[in-house]
Amino acid sequence: MPDFEYNGKKVVVDEDGFIQDPDVWNEELANALAQVEGVDQLTDEHWNIVNYLRNYYQQFGIAPMVRKLCKETKTPLKRVYELFPSGPAKGACKVAGLPKPTGCV
Amino acid sequence: MAGHARTAALGEGVSAPAATGEIVNKLREGETPMKQPLTRDEREKAYALPKKHEVIERQKLPVRYHVEDGLAVEDRPRRFLAAMAAILKHTNYRFVLDHYIRTSAKCSRCTVQCQVFAATGDVNDIPCRRSELLLRVYRRHFTQAGMLRGRLLGDPGLTDEHVQQMAEAFYDCTACRRCQLECPAGIDHGLITHLGRYILAEIGIAPRALVVSTREQLTGETHNTSAIPVAALKDTLGFLEEEMAETKGVEVKFPVDVEGADWLFLAPVSDYMMEAETLMGIACVLHATGESWTIGTGDYDAINYGLFYSDHVLEKVLLMVEEEAKRLKIRKGILIGECGHASRSAKFFYNQFARERKLPVVNILEYTAEQVRAGRLEFDREMIGERVTYHDPCNIARSGWIVEQPREIIRAFIDDFREMSARGRNGVCCGGGGGTVSIDEIRPYRTAIGGRRKAELIRETIAGGKGHYTIAPCANCKKQIREVLEDNGIPSELVGLHDLIYKAIVLSDDGVAWHEPEY
Repeated sequence: MPDFEYNGKKVVVDEDGFIQDPDVWNEELANALAQVEGVDQLTDEHWNIVNYLRNYYQQFGIAPMVRKLCKETKTPLKRVYELFPSGPAKGACKVAGLPKPTGCV
Repeated sequence: MAGHARTAALGEGVSAPAATGEIVNKLREGETPMKQPLTRDEREKAYALPKKHEVIERQKLPVRYHVEDGLAVEDRPRRFLAAMAAILKHTNYRFVLDHYIRTSAKCSRCTVQCQVFAATGDVNDIPCRRSELLLRVYRRHFTQAGMLRGRLLGDPGLTDEHVQQMAEAFYDCTACRRCQLECPAGIDHGLITHLGRYILAEIGIAPRALVVSTREQLTGETHNTSAIPVAALKDTLGFLEEEMAETKGVEVKFPVDVEGADWLFLAPVSDYMMEAETLMGIACVLHATGESWTIGTGDYDAINYGLFYSDHVLEKVLLMVEEEAKRLKIRKGILIGECGHASRSAKFFYNQFARERKLPVVNILEYTAEQVRAGRLEFDREMIGERVTYHDPCNIARSGWIVEQPREIIRAFIDDFREMSARGRNGVCCGGGGGTVSIDEIRPYRTAIGGRRKAELIRETIAGGKGHYTIAPCANCKKQIREVLEDNGIPSELVGLHDLIYKAIVLSDDGVAWHEPEY
């Protein structure tokens, strides 16, 4: 497993850069992961999505349905793609410290 | 007189190609961003540089596509032959290979059908040439003539390079089986691809994305490829029920764990993350017909990657379905959602593998078409004014199984329906078939090469419509075509067929199909 380095710290990630242990996640790491995903600065709109994903993940152990994410955060899907260029599943989930989605997602 | 008419006809005929040529030139010049066939170099680039390559460079992450950690590389030929011998001993593939080595004429008629070859122009992508890779191994090592000839000529037999070549070639193929339509010897190259992948998987060479998902499905806690726990599934279903109440004006349920239901419904589990409308459309149809159906919390994933790379997996996944049907005392059969490979694997193999009780397997498109025919569904024809085209998923259309049913449904409520120029059994693969769609690392390859022909076909149907939908009733095809549309800049929205049904079906007493939610 490769390491992801940020601000002089190291965390273990998989081949696609998703962190392996959700518990090591913190806001500093989210900012660093966002850089990798092509997001320069996490705005309130970004945090709204990231926090929702994290809360849902902590409750259910998986990311929510995309449509639910859009509705609950009041963010249209198009806007999610603008905020996270690689999309809700690959981009937003990575920044929020969720594992990589598997299967036909 | 007859002679004169013939001359006139010829005269018209002469001018026609010139006009067609002009159109083609025009298309080539400006109206399509498609390039000339790719060279080998360009293709290797597409493989080596995923879209976010700068990201990977920054992270210094290797892109790994096959799983073969911890296995001795120098030992691969021997292990390949051992695995192949074991498979031939315990299955009836031997009979097929025996037949194919005699009939394969390598005439290359299949080239005209292969969308991968059309995009690359690389001889290694000719289907019968690819199949020959495996047939050659069979001939050399599993026939007496081959073994004798090998000794006389000092042929060393299977080499490591050859194994490597097969590992690449069998995953360049999307197993769409279109080449089979053209083969005068009736060779199913898709089957050879499947067998080649099966043997490779036995020695640890299989795409990581597929293996990881299958492991979760067979041995993980959640028992499905997307690792969705039951609690999350229930939460999602509750959310969808709320959605339907708001927009359709009636209460529609997703029944869960109903013992003695007629139908056990299995969707490709990724739908519970990605395809809200498809699921709601299906629930609405089943609600309208008053069907007795249920989702089982013991097994709610129809996805079966075994069809792509391993018969062991294929069997185990289907046995899980049988277990669930038994637990819930299902009366009529298995109902599979919008998914090509899941439908094919269940339809053609469920009853082969079922230990105790055979059950009919029905795809939701078949079911809905029957209800449309019987006049049990009411639609608002005004709802969908956009131009619509339909993509035939290879796994349900190539055999001619589900070709007319979706078209009957479409004609029941959509006016502006435009067929692609290759349709039905002759339809072209989305480019992500054979499980390759789950491999994110090769997205550029899938969308620029595998999906290139599909992109052209979709683009041809757009002009003149008011907006555009591409319907693909398959979880694999949905993901792939969305990426094809995005990467090729095609102005069309990808939906499932039940997504549009969801919009247009009338359920409430006031005869209104769509109630705009108040929020």
